[in-house]
Amino acid sequence: MSGEFYLRYYIGHKGKFGHEFLEFEFRPDGKLRYANNSNYKNDTMIRKEVYVHQPVIDELKRIVSDSEIMHEDDALWPPPDRVGRQELEIVIDDEHISFTTSKTGSLLDVNTSKDPEGLRTFYYLVQDLKCFVFSLISLHFKIKPIS
Amino acid sequence: MGHILRHESLLKKIIEGDVEGHIGVSKLKEKARRKKGRGFDDKSKRNIKDEPMEYESVDQTEDDGPGPQRSVEGWILFISSLHEEAQEDDLHDKFAEFGKIKNLHLNLDRRTGFLKGYALVEYESYKEASRAREGLNNSDILGQQISVDWCFVKGPKRIKKPRRRMKQY
Repeated sequence: MSGEFYLRYYIGHKGKFGHEFLEFEFRPDGKLRYANNSNYKNDTMIRKEVYVHQPVIDELKRIVSDSEIMHEDDALWPPPDRVGRQELEIVIDDEHISFTTSKTGSLLDVNTSKDPEGLRTFYYLVQDLKCFVFSLISLHFKIKPIS
Repeated sequence: MGHILRHESLLKKIIEGDVEGHIGVSKLKEKARRKKGRGFDDKSKRNIKDEPMEYESVDQTEDDGPGPQRSVEGWILFISSLHEEAQEDDLHDKFAEFGKIKNLHLNLDRRTGFLKGYALVEYESYKEASRAREGLNNSDILGQQISVDWCFVKGPKRIKKPRRRMKQY
């Protein structure tokens, strides 16, 4: 698998403890950037970056294309609100998606939404992506990412 | 004075490198013909460029150049094309032959509960990891050929962060 690829995921909110968020990004040159801002109690600010090898990017692309997220549309998803926002931006070859939605509490929120199928795709993909990134970051840097 | 000048030029190079990274991403986005989603005209969307941040990385070894990158406590291999029903033991048995496994991450597909198809294995030494990579790439687990390769690589050649270097003076 080759071709251009970019992926960014963000989840966060602005509230009592300032701007708290988790964000990661895979750039076309293989650079993985990870940021986690939590100001609650022991305010942690984690910013890490590392270059991943091509097989890691290939696996990520496989996960993304298997999920079929590129066929979905965020038009009917709950828009970001005061509780928070999620953003998923992916470029694969000549396709570019930039989806936004509110935070997803549970599968119940997903199932009662206007686009349960699309939102479910998003929900599971996000979990798989987080799991993927947390393994990379925690093993490489020996830290415990907070979700 | 010489030091200060050098630092400024170093800093400039690093900032330029980062800007180049952004340009690379922007170009990629421009090239995409099919666009979809509310994020394109959402003004409250997060913009990474709004918050200039410094990201930490594990120091690269001096003999820079392409090649695997060491992690904080060892060397990590990335395994893909794993059979979705493989067990941790299958993997452990194979990889333990090349040295003590310090860490093994075998992640599941959140939807199906089966394996997602990839794994990460950590060894303490380069030698162990390198031998396992050579010995196990294209080997079989449950009749399916796995791929084994380095997980992390050194980035393009770059100069160490000036901030760290300054501490030495």
